[in-house]
Amino acid sequence: MRRPKKPSPIVEAGIRYVDYKDDRLLARFITDYGKILPSRLSGVHARHQRQLSKAIKKARFLALLPYVKGQQA
Amino acid sequence: MAKLKFRRAATRTYETVYIFDSALDDAVIAEKLEKFHALLALAEPATNEHWGRRALAYKIGRHDNGYYVISHFTTAPKQLPEFERALKLDDSVVRYLVSLHEHDLGAPKLTEEQLAARRRDDDDDEDED
Repeated sequence: MRRPKKPSPIVEAGIRYVDYKDDRLLARFITDYGKILPSRLSGVHARHQRQLSKAIKKARFLALLPYVKGQQA
Repeated sequence: MAKLKFRRAATRTYETVYIFDSALDDAVIAEKLEKFHALLALAEPATNEHWGRRALAYKIGRHDNGYYVISHFTTAPKQLPEFERALKLDDSVVRYLVSLHEHDLGAPKLTEEQLAARRRDDDDDEDED
């Protein structure tokens, strides 16, 4: 039996191309440790997952997102 | 051999994010931006969006905070190396990222009507709590 399709959060938000400067959106697609969330968990389409992974990497470089999260300073 | 018919446009649109030292005055930052953009031989002035000071997600050197500026401009690619060299050499620029701006990013801006509808929805949510 096939599971029903999950709605894609990116499509639902009406996003045309994922913005690497939108750290509040990107923060929803990283784990508690700061890793990129797999699309099988987030339900994001493959095209948007590719955009997301590039956007998250750019956002990390610009110190908008951490490379590693949940670590004791 | 015949010359290729299709050539890239002479200019392309770029988006640059600058992170300045947050200890600098706003006037100094505006001055520096002008100086950098002067290197690009821009046909029309760049549009700057100032985010202002915000905390960095991690420490960069001795910096905990940065002053973020986002610029959009259209220029010939051959102008970029000199521009980036100037950014690299300037100690007040903590970090920068130049990228092509060829897609409209994010969701389209909401119209007044949609904003009102969203506000109404938000109010409904608050009632439920």
